[in-house]
Amino acid sequence: MVQDISRRTLLRYSVFGIGGAAVLGLAGCAPGGSGAPAATPGGGTATDFTFSSWSLSEEAAKPAIESALTSFRQAEGIEIDTVAYPYNEYLNQLTLQVRGGQFAGAAQLDVAWLSALAALGKLTDLSAFTSGAGYTDAALGAGRSDGKQLGLPWTIGAVGLIGNAELFERAGASLTPTTIEEFEDGLRALKGIGVIPYAASTKAAQLKDIVVWMQTFGSPIVDGDASAIGDEASVKAVEWYKKLYDDGLIAPDVDRAAARTLFAQGATAIYDDAPVGKSSVLSQSPDASLGDKMVPIARPVLKAGQTPQHVLWGHLVVVVDGAGAQTASDFAAWLTSDPAQSETYFTALGLPPTTDAALSSTAVTSNTFVEAFTSSITATAQPSPLWKYPAYGQMETAIAEQVQAVLIGQAQPAAAMKTAGEAIDRLL
Amino acid sequence: MSTIAPTPAPATLPLEPAPAPPARRRRSGRIRWGMWISLAVIVLFGFAPVYWLLVTSLTPSDRVFAFPPALFPTQITFEHYATVFGNAQIFGYLRNSVIVSVITAVLSVVVSMYMGYAFSKYRFVGRKSLMYFVLSSQMFPQALLLVTLYLVFAQFGLLNTYLALILSFTTFTLPLCVWMLKGFFDALPDDLIEAARIDGAGPWRIFHSVVFPLAAPGLVAAGLFAFVRGWNDFIFALTLAGPDRQTLPPGLVNTFISEASTSWPALMAASLIVSVPVCVAFILLQRFLVGGITAGAVKG
Repeated sequence: MVQDISRRTLLRYSVFGIGGAAVLGLAGCAPGGSGAPAATPGGGTATDFTFSSWSLSEEAAKPAIESALTSFRQAEGIEIDTVAYPYNEYLNQLTLQVRGGQFAGAAQLDVAWLSALAALGKLTDLSAFTSGAGYTDAALGAGRSDGKQLGLPWTIGAVGLIGNAELFERAGASLTPTTIEEFEDGLRALKGIGVIPYAASTKAAQLKDIVVWMQTFGSPIVDGDASAIGDEASVKAVEWYKKLYDDGLIAPDVDRAAARTLFAQGATAIYDDAPVGKSSVLSQSPDASLGDKMVPIARPVLKAGQTPQHVLWGHLVVVVDGAGAQTASDFAAWLTSDPAQSETYFTALGLPPTTDAALSSTAVTSNTFVEAFTSSITATAQPSPLWKYPAYGQMETAIAEQVQAVLIGQAQPAAAMKTAGEAIDRLL
Repeated sequence: MSTIAPTPAPATLPLEPAPAPPARRRRSGRIRWGMWISLAVIVLFGFAPVYWLLVTSLTPSDRVFAFPPALFPTQITFEHYATVFGNAQIFGYLRNSVIVSVITAVLSVVVSMYMGYAFSKYRFVGRKSLMYFVLSSQMFPQALLLVTLYLVFAQFGLLNTYLALILSFTTFTLPLCVWMLKGFFDALPDDLIEAARIDGAGPWRIFHSVVFPLAAPGLVAAGLFAFVRGWNDFIFALTLAGPDRQTLPPGLVNTFISEASTSWPALMAASLIVSVPVCVAFILLQRFLVGGITAGAVKG
């Protein structure tokens, strides 16, 4: 059976479809935001707002954050809606929400993501909340972008080396290597006892870790308005990394998750992590005393007397302008600097607080791991030079791809770093 | 008298082929063994992830990453299943998944059966172009459309609703369903429809009383395809659904994967539990599914 439909009929029905598509297309061109006004402490009547956080979906952190939200709710007599996304999807989802005008209020943010979100022009300047709050200078620096305090520091630490003291002792290696040579000697000794000496990142997903080694070798990473990747220092760093790889001192296919697992199983003696990783390591370890053996190690330097290089790690609270932004700003300040709240949060999760008062509290000083981590690693930590660019993720990927090519023998260090540098220049 | 020599009896045709010579028998035996081994490898390959899923879900947390990994768990625990069943949120995600997947499947089937029938049995200007246009929408990377869909749904106030998920899932399932069902309707003889028309049935009656019952396997196959698409989607559900309408894939990631660690055993237990409804649906409907997918593959 075959029936004919006339051209006129078809056109008539098509008008509805095309018209609908045009409406949908126009709707897709929603405008972005520009600047956001600064907030002032305690201004106006408390109003409801929304709080976005990845930690709210995490079993360990959720009770502590819900407890904080409840305290603030009750004190102010307001409601706080919550939104949670998984960590790996969080920035994309939050960006989409802010860009689409669907989110206003307070949001948890990784320190690395500040510039990317600030580029949308909707973050409230929280400078007025910093005076008298007692934040450390390093912590405040992590929340600053283009001279504005766009984020208040919630927990600030660093990514550094963590060693297994028992394995170091067995190998006769130094837990306090000063220079790269001493560090390498220690790795060779550790290889002798049959473990992977250093679970350094060798998988593209985490090869951005090489940036801090490039800084250790003396590369500024970004020089003015141009990439410095490809300079002598960055090439030497990659050549050294390749030597560790070829000599079996670091292993193939390792990312942060694999490194934690290897460390938890006693299969590696040293890996890179922030304090937040400790609970993950302990949860998958058959060794109940591993926590006592975990020692933060200051990253070695090229020549004695230089400052160890560490990249900052931490969480901020930012405020997206819109309904409830004023109260959300008060909440951000309270959550990150109230002495009792900071101590409670640290006790629950072991994440380093950001005010001098909280850092000198008994709760923190009696935690030997955090205390040692703060003094030996966080003390010299800096934000990555790439983070100030919204496309920093693509830049890190460009570096990672080229370093991986070197490790597997598909590229020479100098040529690969030149390629990476050119890719970064295009993104700057 | 002449004698007629008896006609020699015709040679009897052997009812069974003569036994193969020993060398050929050995060869066919080897081929059979080769086939069995190949099949066994394929089955092992297919079932290994499911087996690993099961083993991990039954292993105590501190042994999940033991090296070398144990093929058979030396210790079994059901604590991870208890964790999953003790989490009320997961049942909320399950309910949301069922709602959006079932409605997506029904909507996709209803729309695509009319479209597929029209493409198959009607001739109109631009028919072929329209068919390829429908199919071309399947070629877009989904992530490309996500931002546009998000902004459109935001403008229409549809974010965080079931409708947003159902519409977006249907956008992707419809083209393939239409083409699947067009192939199915192509295989139905035009004479059948012509006979119904001679008997006085109108187009509506012909479709619902004659064509529709015959199309059941195709409709089931298309429906299952659409259902699975809705059931498995991660990124659209994460972006468009909001916390109250979130489905299982983003819900499970949100529950068991965190910044610093992943609760693999609980995630595996939850994955096994939530795959049961899909497996049951496939087992119950597999005879329709096979018939529906292969319909129209051979003509004549």
